Amino acid sequence: MSISGNYFAGVDVGSLAAKSVILKDGEIFATGLVPSGVNSVESGLNALNLALETAGLQKEDLTYIVGTGYGRVSAPYANKAVTEITCHAKGTNYLHPSVRTIIDMGGQDCKAIRIDQDGAVVDFAMNDKCAAGTGRFLEVMAGVFKVKLEDLGAIALSATDTVPMSSTCTVFAESETISLVARGEKPENILNGIHHSIANRIAGLFSRVGIESDVFFSGGVAKNSGMKAAIEQALKVTIVKPEIDPQLIGALGAAVIARNFSKKEGLWA
Amino acid sequence: MGKKLFRYSEENKDKFLESDNITFNDGSVVTPEEIWDYLTVEGPVKYPGTYEINLSQGNRDSRDETLSTSLKTHYLSLTFSARMEKAKESGKTIAFIQGGQAVDPYTAADTIALRPFLVGQWYHGREHGNDIYKSVLRRKQSKESAFHDMSFEACQTGGYEHVQVGDLPIDVIAPYTVLRCSDVSYGVEAHRHGPNKDVKLINVDYPMRHQADKPWAIEYFAQNLRKLVKTLDEVRGKTTTEYDLLRAIKLHNEGRRLGNELADLWWSTDIPPTNSDDRNSLVALANLDMHGDVQASLSVLKEAKNIIAERVKNGVKGHAVTDNPKRLFILGSCVGINESRSEDAGAIVVGKDDQWSHCTSIVEEEGDPYYNLAKATLEYPYEQSIEKRAQWTIEQIKKSRADGVIFIHNWGCNTQAAISRPIVDFIKRETGIPTYIHERDLHGLRDEQEQNRVNAFIEML
Repeated sequence: MSISGNYFAGVDVGSLAAKSVILKDGEIFATGLVPSGVNSVESGLNALNLALETAGLQKEDLTYIVGTGYGRVSAPYANKAVTEITCHAKGTNYLHPSVRTIIDMGGQDCKAIRIDQDGAVVDFAMNDKCAAGTGRFLEVMAGVFKVKLEDLGAIALSATDTVPMSSTCTVFAESETISLVARGEKPENILNGIHHSIANRIAGLFSRVGIESDVFFSGGVAKNSGMKAAIEQALKVTIVKPEIDPQLIGALGAAVIARNFSKKEGLWA
Repeated sequence: MGKKLFRYSEENKDKFLESDNITFNDGSVVTPEEIWDYLTVEGPVKYPGTYEINLSQGNRDSRDETLSTSLKTHYLSLTFSARMEKAKESGKTIAFIQGGQAVDPYTAADTIALRPFLVGQWYHGREHGNDIYKSVLRRKQSKESAFHDMSFEACQTGGYEHVQVGDLPIDVIAPYTVLRCSDVSYGVEAHRHGPNKDVKLINVDYPMRHQADKPWAIEYFAQNLRKLVKTLDEVRGKTTTEYDLLRAIKLHNEGRRLGNELADLWWSTDIPPTNSDDRNSLVALANLDMHGDVQASLSVLKEAKNIIAERVKNGVKGHAVTDNPKRLFILGSCVGINESRSEDAGAIVVGKDDQWSHCTSIVEEEGDPYYNLAKATLEYPYEQSIEKRAQWTIEQIKKSRADGVIFIHNWGCNTQAAISRPIVDFIKRETGIPTYIHERDLHGLRDEQEQNRVNAFIEML
């Protein structure tokens, strides 16, 4: 898909990270990714400024900005706010037009999204109140094993066995994990079990919306190779390899929507 | 830093002053001039939170000031707590009800019937000067107390809590043991063992398992309604006759018919004649119980019907309604969405199923009034089997030309949670329109997570 014209930005302020993508002439021109702080306005601006700095641009050079993520309601720098569900759909469709099903796992929620050939959302389901099945859950588990979050997936993939995790609650899962370690189970086998248990919860979301190939995995957790493998096994699918950092998909979708809105509003033809 | 407050504009005052009076149960009358004074002088001082411009709470910096009945429902809400205090002082009996009841028997027995929401409104309206933040905090405190005294796994516990701790002088607790409120048992059980257990309690036993076509079930429920009225009579020391009930049924039928006519008018045009909030507050008048005063509700409802008819005739679009909004139908007990934020996202709420189900059930006026009321109540579409309820809902969806359906169930509302999926699946299968199910957290606050999902659904539509 090719877009030509001016500079358009998308800013996705999530619970753990703020991301920004700048589009120019239909191509990704620059990106920014920073940890989210308590001030979501500041977090979004930091991500946007990082992308602007990388691009050698000023904010005034941007024709249109769309904010998304939970920080979108506090985004005075944005021309419009759109939910991240719509943005992940558009961002995925922009990069991978054949995708019809998206799994998005972020810091505080998990989404199952079905889209059509134009990247419009057909149906979606989200985890509601529970942290299990989110990046936050994996963060807690990384803390239990005192390993880096980004190493969790590789450790899980080195397992020789899968130790089932029965707790659905993050707090209970933490204590169950400690019990399993005390019982002599190997950390990599427990972590493998944790990844599979999260994948099974995600599979439950798809029982509501269905699965159609191709399948894409977006969000920060998509960088976890163990989670990708566990989801492929749970859903019996092969996940499309991302062309960019999957954590940036929401911001990319927001930038694509920014371009569409600016055209609709006559700011760019 | 001072909060930004909404103010009614003087330019609409003259037109408003030409509108109808509100007549109350006790025969007293309040004029538009008195209403205007209250809304512009006393109201903002007593309840600044309801004037606060705060998007996250759904307030707008402008309202439909040309819709006189919108100002009147606002007035009735703001004066509710004071009116309940006054009613109590004059010796009126007040009942706490739950379970989707028609309030005809209470009207017959000269008793004010308050649903859980209204019990909370009475209590919270006693404190003046609160901004939105303080009001929300106060409601949270009530809920926390209810967690302590009852359970955190039930939704509408606030009402019982206020009775339990003696916050409000409620005379009688009268829940229907109906499936729509699976949490009734928590409150009743806690009340039996609570510190204020002497408050009269009567469980009105509703025959479950969809017995509407069984004469024995109707007769059994009619007996329960007789028991209810007898209990109210014992509390107030007076006798309610069958004729009193018949008169109450006729009065409430008038409200129900007006509500149906108003809704049909609203649905008859492609241009929504009011926004969601105004529509809901007007249609909700049809049960005549929303403001603790049957006659006041009826008088505003009559005026509203005429205004809506005029607006439909002249193609007037409701305040702050976007062009070609996506039309949402909301399902579930005691729920709704943040209407102004959803309108900002390009939608409008065109209907709800919950108490609307009562309005569509007109009670027979010939014969035994208890039997007739029991029969109509057992026939409430909302209380029928999943398939029958879904079929009725589909009829409402078609009449309202909804583009999408959102089913919301409160945490702890177990029956609604269990049946939400089969109902929306049935609707989706029969109509093909998109549906979404959302579980709301305990406090019932319209939080960001919920709005995120609603907005995503609107974007999808």
